[in-house]
Amino acid sequence: MDELPGDLPEAAGRRFAEGSFTSGLSVPDFAACLQMGLEPAGYVQGFCVMQWRWYGMGMSFGAFGPTGRANGQGYSEAWQCPHGYVSAEHRGWGQNYEQTWIEDAWREGFSSSYERMLEEARTLGAHGIVGVVDASSPLGDLGLLEFRVQGTAVRVIDGPPPIGDRPWTTYLAGQRLGKLIEAGYAPVSVAAAISSVRVWANCITEYLTEGSTTNWGQVAGAEIEQTAKAHMAVRRIARERVRAALGGDSLHGASLATTERELGQGDAELQCILRGNQVRRFKDFDPLAAPRPTVRLS
Amino acid sequence: MTTASRGGDRTEGEIDLRAEMLAAAHSLNGPASPSGPSTTSDLSIDEELILHSIGWEPVELVCGMSLHAVPMGVWNWGQGEISYASDAYQRSFAKATDRIHRECAKAGGHGVVGVHVEWAVHRHHIDVTLTGTAVRPVGSKRVTAESVFVSDLSGRDFTLLHTAGWAPLGLAAGASFVYAPRRSLGTTMKQKGVNVELTNFTEAMYSARESAMERMQRSALDLGGSGVVEVKVTEGPMDFARHAVCFMAYGTVVHLVADEHQRMQPTVVLPLDDAVLSFDATSLRGS
Repeated sequence: MDELPGDLPEAAGRRFAEGSFTSGLSVPDFAACLQMGLEPAGYVQGFCVMQWRWYGMGMSFGAFGPTGRANGQGYSEAWQCPHGYVSAEHRGWGQNYEQTWIEDAWREGFSSSYERMLEEARTLGAHGIVGVVDASSPLGDLGLLEFRVQGTAVRVIDGPPPIGDRPWTTYLAGQRLGKLIEAGYAPVSVAAAISSVRVWANCITEYLTEGSTTNWGQVAGAEIEQTAKAHMAVRRIARERVRAALGGDSLHGASLATTERELGQGDAELQCILRGNQVRRFKDFDPLAAPRPTVRLS
Repeated sequence: MTTASRGGDRTEGEIDLRAEMLAAAHSLNGPASPSGPSTTSDLSIDEELILHSIGWEPVELVCGMSLHAVPMGVWNWGQGEISYASDAYQRSFAKATDRIHRECAKAGGHGVVGVHVEWAVHRHHIDVTLTGTAVRPVGSKRVTAESVFVSDLSGRDFTLLHTAGWAPLGLAAGASFVYAPRRSLGTTMKQKGVNVELTNFTEAMYSARESAMERMQRSALDLGGSGVVEVKVTEGPMDFARHAVCFMAYGTVVHLVADEHQRMQPTVVLPLDDAVLSFDATSLRGS
């Protein structure tokens, strides 16, 4: 290690040069990695703290309405009032739209911390990072969101240097990574994407979510279509985003987590995060033999 | 429980993981994924491998969601079943199922396995979300949304079912929300301060259970199934309506596709991984 790249702290460089390795692997995972010819190089981490508040909406109120879109890009769908009233107390229209500024900010926080982790791995001469864990959480009550990505950097014994000096990464480690390799998949990268959709309720959505019955023409007990469509859209956008980044590779072991924050009667903000392992087939599939059932005496 | 070994003429012990890892590392320096379509799935590698062993493959991560309104006032204490809430659950489940069917068919899947069923009962709406991986027989053609199956069975359970000559048809669900009847003044006074059975709640629970189970079974019959496996039930009061109880049940509807059930004849194994009993030095001191 001659020079420290980028903005890696000087103390981190000294620590990495000390010779011993650190790892976040459990002992079975450590053993499995050695079995695969993976040598732990160090426990690497990346952090990024972002200011996280309700500004940067990127749209003026004039943008609302049937043809309005957030920033003129992304998903947007409008709902008209069927009653024909013009009143400050009656929601004449509603809109679902993608909050691209929230997605951009999350992407910035995630990719900054991810790149910092890669930078540490490169410093160690690692070929890949296994057992990646990522999370984002509020930092106190300061309106800050902390992104952290960490994992164990490894070297493939006798392996080639990673292309573009960019180590591969995976959420898997140990035995599960072994099975992935055995199944003919090479880990490429962790894949994570967020989508955020805001629901501005129209009158029908508002009445249905507050439990009003048929006084405004809505059908009591009907589907709340605007909210349902927002839920479907937020999941679709996250999946499309990850799929667009796969470039012919596959996504394995995905997890789709959606949260909803109620902001008013019928108004809500939906957020969906999709995580998974981008993998690439490196050999023809070798299917298992027919499964053999067993009864375990224990 | 099923086990499987690698196909062809290799056995598990002969796999050189280190060489495989090296080959994987070299492949990353080459062109991206030369063959095969890209897939997305939330299956584990074990599930994917075991699905491949019966000639099925994952295609796409799919989902369906719906929420139906519950009108104001239905949670006010009354008599009998809260039919608006029960209907809202049934309709949300049906609509979410319809949506996941469509996503599956669009992705080219023949069915969805490992479906996570999430539901939430709010005062004024009931939500149901289904998320799973669309799968299909390797090299098969597209099917219509109507002929797609949805199942909450894992890849392993789906394989086991398939091997035994059975197939999933879909998810069957039933729910019932019932008011616990009011107690008379005399009964209330008599039961005050003593630990006794509140038969009004017990009866409400039984009533909700019967309705929900009956709906689930009727839904299974409507799908043409002969039974429901992996039934999951949830019961209890709602935070906002403690005088009412809900009972929900869902499971995977199955039917026999082979001429008769295929006997598996499992191998009995005695695992040698019992917990280690370590030597305890304090036992030497005696009592």
